[in-house]
Formats: sequence, structure tokens, C-alpha cells
Amino acid sequence: METFDLLAQGLLAAMQVQNLVYALIGVTLGTAVGVLPGIGPALTVALLLPVTYRLDPAGSLIMFAGIYYGGMYGGSTTSILLNTPGESASIVTALEGNKMARKGRGGPALATAAIGSFVAGLIATLGLAFIAPTVVKFALSFGPADYFALMVLAFVTVSAAFGDSALRGLTALFIGLGLGLIGIDLQTGQTRLAFAIPDLLDGIEVTTLAVAMFAIGETLKTAADREQVDAQVMAVKGSVWMTADDWKRSWASWLRGTFIGFPIGAMPAGGADVASFLSYSAEKSFAKNPEEFGHGAIEGVAGPEAANNASAAGTLVPLLTLGLPTTATAAIMLAGFQQFGLQPGPLLFTNNASLVWALIASLLVANFMLLVLNLPLIGLWVKLLTIPKPWLYGGILVFATLGTLGANGAMSMGIGPVRISFELVLLLAFGILGYLLRRFGYPIAPVVVGLILGPMAEQQLRRALAISQGDPGILVHSPISIVLYVVAIIAVGLPLIMRLRGRGAVLGQLATDED
Amino acid sequence: MNKLLLAALVSGALSVPAFAADYAIVAPAAPGGGWDQTARTMQEALTAEGISGNVQVTNVPGAGGTIGLAQFVNQENGNPNALIVGGYVMVGAILTNASPVTLAEVTPIARLTGEAIGVVVPASSDIQSVDDLVAKLKENTGAVSWAGGSAGGADHITAGLIAKAVGLDPTQVNYIAYSGGGEALAAILGGQVTVGVSGISEFASQIEAGELRLLAVSTDTRVPGFDAPTLQEAGVDTAVQNWRMIAAAPGLSDEQVAAINADIEAMVNSATWKTALETKGWVNTYLAGDAFEAQLAADIAATEAILKDIGLVQ
Amino acid sequence: MSAGAPNHTRRPDGAALVIAAILAAIAIVIFWQTSQMRVPPVQQRVGPTVFPYIVATGLALLSVGTLISALRRGFPARSKDDYGPIAWIIAGLVAQILLLSSAGFSIATGVLFAFTAKGFGRGPLWQTIPIGIVFAFIVWFLFARGLQLSLPRGPFERLLTTGAF
Repeated sequence: METFDLLAQGLLAAMQVQNLVYALIGVTLGTAVGVLPGIGPALTVALLLPVTYRLDPAGSLIMFAGIYYGGMYGGSTTSILLNTPGESASIVTALEGNKMARKGRGGPALATAAIGSFVAGLIATLGLAFIAPTVVKFALSFGPADYFALMVLAFVTVSAAFGDSALRGLTALFIGLGLGLIGIDLQTGQTRLAFAIPDLLDGIEVTTLAVAMFAIGETLKTAADREQVDAQVMAVKGSVWMTADDWKRSWASWLRGTFIGFPIGAMPAGGADVASFLSYSAEKSFAKNPEEFGHGAIEGVAGPEAANNASAAGTLVPLLTLGLPTTATAAIMLAGFQQFGLQPGPLLFTNNASLVWALIASLLVANFMLLVLNLPLIGLWVKLLTIPKPWLYGGILVFATLGTLGANGAMSMGIGPVRISFELVLLLAFGILGYLLRRFGYPIAPVVVGLILGPMAEQQLRRALAISQGDPGILVHSPISIVLYVVAIIAVGLPLIMRLRGRGAVLGQLATDED
Repeated sequence: MNKLLLAALVSGALSVPAFAADYAIVAPAAPGGGWDQTARTMQEALTAEGISGNVQVTNVPGAGGTIGLAQFVNQENGNPNALIVGGYVMVGAILTNASPVTLAEVTPIARLTGEAIGVVVPASSDIQSVDDLVAKLKENTGAVSWAGGSAGGADHITAGLIAKAVGLDPTQVNYIAYSGGGEALAAILGGQVTVGVSGISEFASQIEAGELRLLAVSTDTRVPGFDAPTLQEAGVDTAVQNWRMIAAAPGLSDEQVAAINADIEAMVNSATWKTALETKGWVNTYLAGDAFEAQLAADIAATEAILKDIGLVQ
Repeated sequence: MSAGAPNHTRRPDGAALVIAAILAAIAIVIFWQTSQMRVPPVQQRVGPTVFPYIVATGLALLSVGTLISALRRGFPARSKDDYGPIAWIIAGLVAQILLLSSAGFSIATGVLFAFTAKGFGRGPLWQTIPIGIVFAFIVWFLFARGLQLSLPRGPFERLLTTGAF
């Protein structure tokens, strides 16, 4: 098979000692910057891309692959240990991962994230190499109506992250949906809810909201709680490694996460965040002990982290085969590829075969380096928790504001003669909101989820109805949308049926849930 | 190897001279987009050619460039070192967003590059030519769905101009806005919409691969490398070009404007700039001085008229 | 609600009432703002006002739900929060916002760092502010100089990197 030959050649080139060193540097840099709370993969790649320009094409390509995977992975570390995700795709990782870390199981949580990322990265990169054309055909067959069905499925399953009260979960979701309305309406160019503030015209930045809600909100909540401030943190209880039981519970989740993440990452309107939400709820439905979710279930880290990384490789499918950047990170990567002389598009695999295969081989090597680098470091990362709280949280706020300033830090507002950054004002306001929501028992994740999914669902629905000239039949016109709605109905129905089948304890819990 | 990296970091840090920046260019868009690439290419050309000792690029993304423009006008008044990248999209955005700041408040320096809007259909479509498309539009305007960038942008304007030129009501154009050309391209390739309108470079590789059929280009002359008529040649009497420009701060003296003009002209004629245009596939449409100001005024008037016709501007 | 700690009285939960009122207020603002919008006469079956009305209706219903929950004391028990540390941290963030454009990244962020540490009980400020500034400067140097991130410069950065103000 010619494909194997080309891949083997690429791998041989990538395995040269010099290139391995570049891969290691790339992974180290990517992880080091990506790990900082508040700095997500898009910013990491944008910041580090110029570093690669100084090398020869092969070297820069491989270092770049390392930075990409390192940056994608790095965010999960602070999500798990400090509950401060730097971007939307690590939010669900924080849900279970941080609960695990608080029980002294940060080591296994990081390990399952690292190995899951590796497994997912490996399978998804191979998928990119061998089935990209098929996957892209499938992704293109998704019309607006199908995307809307996917959003409905995502909305339905988001309830998995609602915590113990449907009322407060829905309220948090609707606050997010409300924030999602702000800005210029894409379809008509009309301004909604911007209150004549120019900075609101483009809407609320998801990263700003996520960093504020988690990093700032968490800092405020921790500071306000005397017991937490004084508590001695147990960085590690038991082994820092995964136990046999952890392995048994993780492997299926890694695979499920991979198979959810890869195709969704490949969709022009999918993305790592949607993939991680769906993976989380899938894990909750498949889990033998769903009641453990919300209290540190390892499946809830393993699945979404695998989905997150698989979707990172999935993003490369439309990027390489169609020249379609589907995420902010991908858009920055497209600029990077052009520097290497790669012209993404349908002819890429024929016109630039050797470079493409070098890139795919680089991704495989980088993925492996990531594991090599991060597994031994887990013991070191968990020591983050032993940094005295004043310095730790001071540092978190420094990086959270640095990330916000770096991504969107224009001094666009003025109070008298003083120029200030509107984005930092938003960061502060949402941070206080995040604290208040925590204080009154509201879950945080649905707010961010609402901001991400709300505008997507609205745009896709309106596109579908515009194309059909108002005929709502289009919504259930394709087999894909029908399948998605059926899955959504099962996702709602199955837990209900299982509960009704007389598991007393669960029934009791259900009774306490309604309010 | 770490030494090498450290050396790179340190040299990057120390290579900045102790003087103030010669030029600070605002790219009113996110990193990676067309305006950002224009600004960064200028940065490269201006410094590589020794026209300027130090050029800094800042990104102020949002709302079709109007956020960056407003900030530029407010903060840089009288600063001869400040430049802003802009373009035709900004003209439309200023009108649809009812922006408080307009292009009349900056000092236009020159048009740098331009791009034709391509009108495409998927290879499997039964539409073979502009005539077929016009026939479909006349049969039922709303049944033809158009995919392109955000509402009120150059793509939307092109669709409206075509409808108007063949005597149809532009408000009836069924325009589906996508965020960015990429997502629109996916919808066109997937056959979700009837026809696509976007910058021709977005479609180039798909046209070459035979996945898309290019019906016409929007400019008044044909585009080299593409086998398609202009709209005018195809019987639709309209023309539009998506151009990019560079402007300076308001409140400059004639000498200051002349100095900037000279620097930009030197840059446009430099080898670095020409090579960069070639690798990026941009067309040099350099136009400066009174000729540019006249063209800008004409474009603003024409855009306002068509946006009113489409119904986006009152 | 199992977590709702039985307080001494069966008075309605005051904070929850306030939340219900805020949700209602947001719903009203969205309704009002949306009703003021000009809907362009373009070919759109579902216009730009439909989703805002749906979200506003949802928030209004949730406000009623919260009100009922407040009357039934359905909210979980709340920890006794200490507002002093919160005030310090918020003051740090506000100070950073105000200082950034004039004093530059290091000084503004150093103040944020020190105020946050103060919120967690570490002082005194005359010691922690210099520590914070040095830390923020190292971060600034790595990101602004090493990685070309656009971060505000002030006199401190100019002095240390170019030797002049």
C-alpha cells in the first residue's frame, strides 16, 4: 500500500535524533505555556508558532506538531488540579478531575488524561492518515438542520452537568444563553443587547467567560472560605499512579471519547468543546455507577480528555483536505502551514504528499513525546497543590489576566483620562458572577455551555429554515437528523427508565432532585 | 538545543532598538485573517527593506473592523506613526452597524491589494452559467440560497448587486450568512445551498480540483488563472472588488501625510512586498492620492445604496 | 431539597428572592431591548428577535421557579463566607485594570498579585508588592519579549529593557 510507504518514510524522517529533539522542545514549550491557567491552545499555538520559523521546514513542522499537541494537553493539568480551565474544551475535565484532585487522586486523574490523550491522539492521527476523505465526506453531508439536531442532542445531554438541581442547572444554562444573544446578529447584521458599547458588538468571548467563571470565581470562593484557606492540602493520597481498577474503568472511556471526538472535530461546525460535552454525558450514561459523577468519577476525565485530543486531530481533517479552518486554533495553524509551503485543499495529498506525510508522522511522534514527557512529570505537577495558597492563587490571577490581555487586551475604554481594558472589566464582572453562582449552589459549566451552544443552535436553525423557505419539515428531513433526535430521546429516556426500574436509592435521589 | 532556544529568545528580546517604533499598525481583525496578514506582511516588508526601523502590529478585532477603527480615531489623532489596515468590508460594516466613526475620520493613504468575489456552484449543480443562475432567480428568487460571509459584507453585497442588475428585488435574495469563508465553503461543497459567493482565493483550490464551478468573477476585468467571465461579460451589469487599504491617523499635516505616502510607495515597489504578494496570491492594486480618495468616495456611496436596497440599512 | 438546612425560622430565603428578582429583571431587559430592534425586511423566516424572546421567556419562568423555591426554602445551605478576602482580591483586579495603561504590566499585575496574597492572609503589602512586581516582570519579559505577546509597557519595563523611561 502506497499510503503505508509514505507514512513509513515520513516516520523515518521524523525519527532522526535531531527531529526527536525538536519534537521534545515543541511538546515541552506547548505544555509549559498551555499549562498556565487562562491560556488556552489557540493562544499557545499563536504565541509559539514564530519560534518554529527559525528552523528548517522538517524541523519546524515537527516542533509545531509538538506545540499543538502539547498546548491541547497542557490545559487539562490546571483544570484538574486547580479547577481553572484555560479554554472551553477542558471545562468538563475540571468537573470530575478537580473532584478527584481534592480527594488526593490528582495523580490518577492526570495519568488517565495523559494516557487517554495519547490513545486518542494515536487513533485519531491514524484516522487522519487513512480515512480523512471518507470522514470529510460525512462531515460535509451535515446540513444546518443536522447541526441543529446535534445541538439539540448536546443541550439535552448537558443536563448531565447540572449537578443536583434542575432548576439551578437550567438557570445557569439560560444565563449563558442570554449572554450568547449579545452582539451583531450574523444573519441580518443587526445589533442585539450591546447597550451601545462597541466592545460588545462581537459578543462575549467564550474564553473570557470560562477563565473568569473558573479561575477568578474559584479564587474568590476559596479565599472567602476560611476553612479552605487554612486547610492543609493533601497532594497525594495513595498512589500517584493509576490502580488496576482505574485502568479497567478508563480504557473503554478513552475509546468512546476517541470515537466521539474524531468525527465531531472533523465537522466544520463541531469543535472540541461540543465533543467533550457529548463524551461526558456518554460516560455518565454508560457508567456502572452514575451516582459517582459529580464526586470524582475517573470515566468523566478519561472520556472527555480523549475526546478533546481526538477532536484536535479531527480538526486537521477539514483543514488539510478542504483548507477549512474550523476553530481559532486551526485558523492560526493554517497560517502556519502556509509558512511551510503547504497549501491545504483537495489537492494537498497529491501536490504536497511528502510534506503532508511528514506532518502526520510528526504528529504521531509528538503524540508519543507528549506521553514520555508528561507521565514522569505527573508527580511534579501534583506538587503544584503544595504551593502556599497566597502565592498559588496570586499566580493564577496573574496568568488569567495575562491570557485575557494577550488574546484581546486593547485599552478600548476610558474612565476620564485613564484608558482601561474592557475585556478585563468583563473578566472581573464574570468572576464575581462565578463566585455568586458558586455561593448559591448553581453549577458553573452550563453557563459556558449555553454561551457556546446557544448561538450555534440559533444560527443553524435559522439557516435551515431560510434554505427551506420556512418549511419546518426540513428539520427532520435527513436520516442524520432523525438519528440524532432518536439518540437525544434515548439519552433523556434511558436514565428515567433505569431509575423507574426500582433502584430504591436512586429513586430517592430523584425525589430530592425536583424542586 | 535549549541553549539554541534561549539564544533565540534573548536575541529576540535584545534586537529591539532603543528608539520609539517607527510605525504602529493596527490590524482591526483577529490574528490569521486577511487584514492581519496584510499588516504583518507590511511589517515584514517595511523592516526588511529598511524603510522603517521598527514596526509593531496590534490586533483589535471585532465588528467588521469598526471597533479597531473607532479606537484608532479616538487614540491616535495627530500621531504620524500610527497606521490602520482596512478594506471594503469596513465600508459595509460602518453602515450596517451604524458605527459612530467612519472612514471620513481617518487619512486614507493607499489601496494596496484587491480581490475579486467569485460566484460558484458545486460541480454537481445543474447551473452551468450565469444565464442559468439568472433564469433560476427570475423563476423564484427565494428558492435560490446564497452562502457567503456575514450579512452586509462584500459577499452579501455582490449577491444583492446581481439581483438588482437583473431587475429583481434585492430584499428577496435568500442570503445565508456564515462566519468566515471556510464554513460557507463547507455548505457549498456539501450542496446545502444553491450558490456560493466569497473571495475567489477561498475557492481557488476547490475550483482547481473540479469540486466547484466558477460561474463569474465580480471585478470589471477577468482574473488571471481563472477561466471565468466577469459578471459584465456574462450579461449582469455590475462590478465590485474587495480591496484592502492602509490609512493614517486624523489630524496630520501635509508633510506628514507625504512622508507616509513615500514610505508606503517605497514598500509597494520593494522586492519583499512583491514576493509576498506572489506567495499569498494577492493582486497588487496600488492606488494612492486623489485617485484613491475619489474611488473610496464612490465605493462608499454605491455601498450605501445597495445596502439600502437589500434592506440592511435604513 | 435534601441539602436545605432547616434554619430556625421558616422565613423565605432572602437571597433566593433577590436572585428571582434579578432573573426577572434580566428577562424584562431582554424583552424591552428586543422589542426596540429594527427587523430588516430581508428574506428571513425566523428573524433576529425570535431567540431573544425565547430566552427572555425562559428566564421569566425560571424566575418564578426560583421564587417558589425561595418561599419553600429550597436552596442548599450556604457556607459562612468571609467578605474581607473577596474585597482584597476584587480591589487587586480593579487596581490592575486602572494601573495597566499608565504603570505598565509589571506594576499593575504586581499589585494584583500582592492584593490576592493579602486576601489569602499573606502580607505585609510593602513586602509582597515588590515580590509581585518582580514576578510579573519576569512573566512580562518571557511573554512580551520572548513570544511577542502584546502586553502594556510602562516606565518600569522601559527602564529595565532599554535603560530609559
